[in-house]
Amino acid sequence: MQPFLDDIATLAKPSLYNIYFAAASIPLGFVLAVALALVRASRSRIGSSLAGAYIYAFRGSPLFIQLFMFYSLALSLNISVWKPNGLDWLVLHPLFLGTFVLALNTTAYSAEIFYGALKTLPRGEIEAARAFGLSRFQTFRAVVWPNMLRLAWPAYTNEVVFLFHATTLVYFTLPVINEQKDLMNKAGELFERDYNAFLHFSVAALYFLAISLAIFFLSNLVYRRLMHHLGPAEAKPRVRFAPKYLR
Amino acid sequence: MAGERESSVPPAHRDSDNGFWKTALSLGEPADRSHEGAQCGVRPLDWLIDIFGEDLGFWLGYLGNGKHLAWYASFRFTILAAIFGALIGLGFGLGGAGLLRARFRPLRIAGLAYANIVRGVPDVLFFLFFPLAFEQLVEWLISTQVCSPEAVAARAGSWPPCMEANWFLSTTEYLILASVSLGIVYGAFTANVINGAMNAVPKGQLEAARAYGFSRNQVFWRFQVRQMWIYALPGLSNVWMLLIKSTSLLSLLQIPDIVLWAERLGAPNFVPTAGLVHPDWRWRYYLVLFVFYIILTFLSERGFAWLRERVGRGVVAEG
Amino acid sequence: MKHILLAAAFAAAMTGGAAAQTVRLGTEGAYAPWNFVNDAGEVDGFEIELGNELCVRAALECEWVVNEWDTIIPNLLAGNYDAIIAGMSITDERKETIDFSDNYYPPDPSKFAVAGDSAVDFDAMSGLKIGVQGATIQAAYAEATFGAGNTILSFETADQSIADLSAGNVDVVLADGGYLDPIVNASGGALKIAGPDVMIGGGVGAGLRKDDDELEGKLNAAIAAMKADGSLNELIVKWFDPPNTF
Repeated sequence: MQPFLDDIATLAKPSLYNIYFAAASIPLGFVLAVALALVRASRSRIGSSLAGAYIYAFRGSPLFIQLFMFYSLALSLNISVWKPNGLDWLVLHPLFLGTFVLALNTTAYSAEIFYGALKTLPRGEIEAARAFGLSRFQTFRAVVWPNMLRLAWPAYTNEVVFLFHATTLVYFTLPVINEQKDLMNKAGELFERDYNAFLHFSVAALYFLAISLAIFFLSNLVYRRLMHHLGPAEAKPRVRFAPKYLR
Repeated sequence: MAGERESSVPPAHRDSDNGFWKTALSLGEPADRSHEGAQCGVRPLDWLIDIFGEDLGFWLGYLGNGKHLAWYASFRFTILAAIFGALIGLGFGLGGAGLLRARFRPLRIAGLAYANIVRGVPDVLFFLFFPLAFEQLVEWLISTQVCSPEAVAARAGSWPPCMEANWFLSTTEYLILASVSLGIVYGAFTANVINGAMNAVPKGQLEAARAYGFSRNQVFWRFQVRQMWIYALPGLSNVWMLLIKSTSLLSLLQIPDIVLWAERLGAPNFVPTAGLVHPDWRWRYYLVLFVFYIILTFLSERGFAWLRERVGRGVVAEG
Repeated sequence: MKHILLAAAFAAAMTGGAAAQTVRLGTEGAYAPWNFVNDAGEVDGFEIELGNELCVRAALECEWVVNEWDTIIPNLLAGNYDAIIAGMSITDERKETIDFSDNYYPPDPSKFAVAGDSAVDFDAMSGLKIGVQGATIQAAYAEATFGAGNTILSFETADQSIADLSAGNVDVVLADGGYLDPIVNASGGALKIAGPDVMIGGGVGAGLRKDDDELEGKLNAAIAAMKADGSLNELIVKWFDPPNTF
């Protein structure tokens, strides 16, 4: 029991790195994804196909390779671009670059989810809003946005959990700075000391499970608010702990 | 084995004195390379050099050297892991769906535990954990048979318990283990897909079959399971897309896969004796892999679209 | 059940016995000129030539296994190969887990490499980004000596640290002199050696499992013979610039 508790204590700080990467990239990805989904659904031919291509490329390739590629790309631009502008300390820092690539990645997946939701919005509601004399922006605020969010929320929750899992890849690809190690890094390091794969990896897995459950719990609170308009008589839908295959 | 190395020193080394490899540092000046480009080339490509000039010949020679050939050959690991991972995953998925639909409660709970635990932790974690755990399990089993207590005591605190119990894992074994862990991870997703698809088969059709006098078993196999595939295909195609992206992780298991070779080929080299001197080219190689996976995704999509059309033939859509 | 297991175990023991004549040598394959994968896609370098020669002299059948640096000791202990020949310095810390053969490369000072136009003040190092390869003696040294006030970046391979140095992402790389010298010499002024030499390791030897005394004896005898007849120095001269001979 003691080694188990020791592991829980040792891995507490590393888990913060995974949480940081997820917490930093998800809001950014969310904003970008909504914008991208709107462009994708817009009437602009060029905008729509560019957004589509972006989504396709980032959903169609592994994050592992995206991380490698963007790091070496950023590195090769260092002398010509980042250094002269004094940005090199930021751009090449794993805490920034890792977040950046994760955000690019989740933008594509989330945009696909939001785009799917936009496509299934009932046309009648939008037309009704326009007929009532609401401006484009007002229609978006009052009709499109809340409905899109409601429709997309369960799938988006899955995406958030998956992105949280994907944070493990950052330190497999980018240099490790000082003692900045995440759960997988640290679990691997512990394993190399005593070869007890069962202990260390189980504790790391436990952290991931616990945090995934926490994400589902929080997401459910948000979902309940989103579905607030449904009266008490109606069965309220819930976001269940069921990471799906949507990614 | 030992003597063979001497003779296998590549031509690159012999050329290293005449300045050829050094000039490669300044790749912007093809004139410097002059006629020497032919030396690095593979002989059968000479006619191409005659047509397209030295530059192309140089690049063809470079892209055709042994290191690159090893890279091209390593694509087989990715493809094999994807195919076997998918087959094993399908097996685990069918098994998992069977558990999820079992009448016996503990089995259902086991199915739920499998599906949710595997999906609740990152695939990387499982991917690293399973092969290690499996290797240790096998070595432990062997050790209970072959290790003397003295040998175990002498090696206390290290693994395996005694050297006789060591199981040597080469690339082949790692590839098998990688496929199995991909199968277990994506089997959990597949189980869910198949379970959902079984539920999606219209009840009316099954009842009609019963009314026509088919037995329960016949209805299950000939109607529900057969129809299930149609409903499962979109979900299965999703899982397959996830799986092929996960094959990029093979290098984490010491398999010399496309990612590992891309890193080796792209890493900057300053020392002429170690091969072509060049700056950091890694992102170009990763870009190739980036595009490779996008193409793979595209082809898979087309394949599944074709499949869906085929199995969907003759099925009347509800509503 | 037990019978089946026994049979399987016996088969394993048999092949284990047969394989005992094949000695597996673990190397990294990314540390030129010590060991690297050449353009033909084969392992090559000083240690490959040396290892092959040692095997000939010790009458061993040898084969090479390429393994990433950061797991190279665990995988030796786990039996995935029998000796590490990968430019590994002999240190007391490593001696706690593994044994070493006699050194086949003399104690080699670690050096600092910087960009050609760099003016790092080595008497007062602070606020610098120092690149090292993870799990090396230099990584431990840098952590202990410069850890406070500087940023230590550990990379999977030494080549990656050099890539980041030449791209300006790290200010200093600390690595074996035998690794840095050829690179700096070939860089045409883009990189230079600066600051003091640091003696960290006690020469380079083959890493072995503690209970593998037989192999240790054979390798030591072969190394001693190569030292005696000058062929080891010849190899060092062939691969290193400048050579650090015995």
